[in-house]
Amino acid sequence: MTKVIETKDLFRKFGSEETEIIALDQVTLDIEDGEFTAIIGPSGSGKTTLLHLIGGLDNPDAGTVLLSGANIADMSGNELSDFRRDHIGFVFQAYNLIPVLSAEENIEYVMLLQGIDSAARKKRVQEMLALVGLEGLGNRRPAHLSGGQQQRVAVARAMASKPDIILADEPTANLDTKTGISLLEVMRDLNEQQNMTFVFSTHDEMIMERATRLVHLRDGKIERDERK
Amino acid sequence: MLSLKLAWRNLFRNTRRTILTSILISSSLVVLILVDGMTLGMVDLMVGGITHTLEGEAQVLRKGFRNNFGVEYYLEDPEPLIDIIKADDSVSGFGPRIIVGGMIASSYNTTGGLIYGVDAEQELGVSRIQEAIIEGHYLSGESREILIGKPMADLLEVELGDRIIITAAAVDSNEIAQELFRVKGIFEFGPEEMDKNLVFINLEIGQQLLGMQGHLHQIAIRFHDPETSKDTDLPLFAALTTNETEALGWLDLQPAIGGIIEMTNYSTAIVGTVLFMLTSLGVINSMFMSIYERIYEFGVAKAIGTTPWQIIQLVLFEALFLALMSCVFGLVIGYMLTNYFSTSGIPFGTAEVAGVLIDGNMYTKLAAYQFINFPVYVTLLTLVAAIYPAIFASRIVPSQALQRSL
Repeated sequence: MTKVIETKDLFRKFGSEETEIIALDQVTLDIEDGEFTAIIGPSGSGKTTLLHLIGGLDNPDAGTVLLSGANIADMSGNELSDFRRDHIGFVFQAYNLIPVLSAEENIEYVMLLQGIDSAARKKRVQEMLALVGLEGLGNRRPAHLSGGQQQRVAVARAMASKPDIILADEPTANLDTKTGISLLEVMRDLNEQQNMTFVFSTHDEMIMERATRLVHLRDGKIERDERK
Repeated sequence: MLSLKLAWRNLFRNTRRTILTSILISSSLVVLILVDGMTLGMVDLMVGGITHTLEGEAQVLRKGFRNNFGVEYYLEDPEPLIDIIKADDSVSGFGPRIIVGGMIASSYNTTGGLIYGVDAEQELGVSRIQEAIIEGHYLSGESREILIGKPMADLLEVELGDRIIITAAAVDSNEIAQELFRVKGIFEFGPEEMDKNLVFINLEIGQQLLGMQGHLHQIAIRFHDPETSKDTDLPLFAALTTNETEALGWLDLQPAIGGIIEMTNYSTAIVGTVLFMLTSLGVINSMFMSIYERIYEFGVAKAIGTTPWQIIQLVLFEALFLALMSCVFGLVIGYMLTNYFSTSGIPFGTAEVAGVLIDGNMYTKLAAYQFINFPVYVTLLTLVAAIYPAIFASRIVPSQALQRSL
C-alpha cells in the first residue's frame, strides 16, 4: 500500500520558556492509502496539533511531514495553500461552513478555487450532496440546516476536491449520538467504496469502534499504535 | 463570480455596521461635492466682484499706466484698438475710459478722488455703475453730469442737482483745469474705498478737461465667457499688444486676487484630505471589525486552500462594493444639495474680501468632474483604506484562528 502521510520526529512546543508546553515530541507516523485512522488520547495529548501539522496548517519546530511524498516544509505559503486545496480535505468540529453561502455554494467553493469549470462543478456538487444524503437541501444556507446536516455539507465540501486524504478534527463532538453515527456511516462508506483515507482526532468511542487503526497519543508521544 | 457573490453577501452580514460605514463614506462624498460647489460659487462671486463691478475681465492700457496711474500714459490712438475689439466675437462689451486723480469740491467741502471719464452707453456692457445708483440717475450723456459715491456726497454735503467743481492737471500742459458738474446720481458699490474716492463723468467732457481729446487711458473689456480672459495666449491680447500698449486679463491685472482664488481651490483639497483621512479611519475600523468577527472563518478558508491573495481580493471586493454603494447614495444626495443651492443660493450678504465686493447670494456650482472624479477618489480611498485590513486577513494563521473553538 502507498504511504500518503509520513511524519518523522515531529516536535512542536508552544509558549515561552516559563510556560513552555511540548505538544508533540518525536512523533513518527506513517499512514497508508485507504486507512480509517483515529488519533486518540486525553485532552492536551497533542491530537489536534498533530492533525494541524499533517494538514500544513502549522509548522513543526523540528521533524518533517511528507504528504503524498511532498515535504510541506519546502512549500511557500501559496504552494501550501494550493497543496491543501488539491490534496487535503478538512472537516472541523464546528462545521465551519461559510454562513452567507448555500450548502451547494459551500461545496462548490473549493472547486472554484481549483479552477474547475462551472458545469463540472455543478455536477460534482449534486453528486456530493447525494453522497452525504442531502439531496434537495442544496439551496439552504447553513443557518437553515441542522448540526448534522451542516457537518455532512462539511464532509461533502472536503470530498469535493477529490483529496488524497481527509483530516477530521472531532467531527462528531457537537452532534447527538444518532446524527454522529449517521455521519460516521457516510464517512465509512466513502472510505470503503472510494478508498478515501481518513484521519480523525477524537475522543468519540463511536469513531474508535469504526476506525481500522487507533493511534494513542499521550503527552505528545505515541503511546500505542494498533491496527484492527 | 463566487468571490464577488461572497463579498456582496458578506457586506450584509452586519447590515447596521455596513449602513453606518456607508453613511460615513457617502457623507464625505456629499461634503466634498458641496464644498467644491461652494468653492466654485465663491470664486465666481469673487471674480464677478472684480470684473463686473468696474474693472472688466480684461483691459487695454498704455505700458506704464498701471505703475502709478500716470495721466501721461494714455493710449494715443485708441481707434484701431477699438476696431480690433469690436471685430472679436468673444467680446461682449467694452468701455473706453480716462482716469485721473483730482480735487473734487462742493460749496462746503473739498476732497481728493479718482475721476473716471466713461462712455455712458458702452459702460453698461462692462461695469455695474448703473446698478450701483441708489439716488438719482445714471449718466445720460449730457456733458456736465457727475456720479459720486454716498460717503463722498456726505463729506461734500451735496445732494442731487448740487454743483461740484473738479480740478485736475491737463495732460500735456500740466496747467490746472477746472470744470463745473451737477450731481446726477449717487452710487454705492459697497467697498468704502470705492464709494469714497471714485466719481464718474462723461468721457467727452473728461477728455476736454484733461486736454486729451481722442485719447484714452483704459479700455475695459467683457467677454461672453469669463474664462476667456484667463487665457494669456488669447489672440485678441496679442493683437492689442504693441510696443506701447498692453492687453491683460484680470488675473494679470489683479495677481493678488488670483492668489486668493488659488488658495480657495486649495481649501477643497484640504477639506478633501481631512475628510479622506477621517473616512479612511472609519473604513479601516469597520473592515477590521468585520474581519475579527470572521477570523475563524478566514482560518477555515485558508485551511481549505484559499490563498492569501484570494483573501486580499475578497476583502477588497467587499470594500469596493461598500464604496460603490456609498458613492451612489453620495452622488444622489450631493447632486440634490448642490443643485438646490445652485438655484436658491446661500445668502451671503454684502462683504468685501481683499478689496473685492461680494454682494448677494452665493450660488453653488455643479461641475461634471465632481460626479466623475470625486466618486473615483472616494472609491480608491476606500480600497486603499481596506488594503491594511486585507493584508491582515491574508496573514491569519489557520492553526491559530482555528484554536478558537478547538
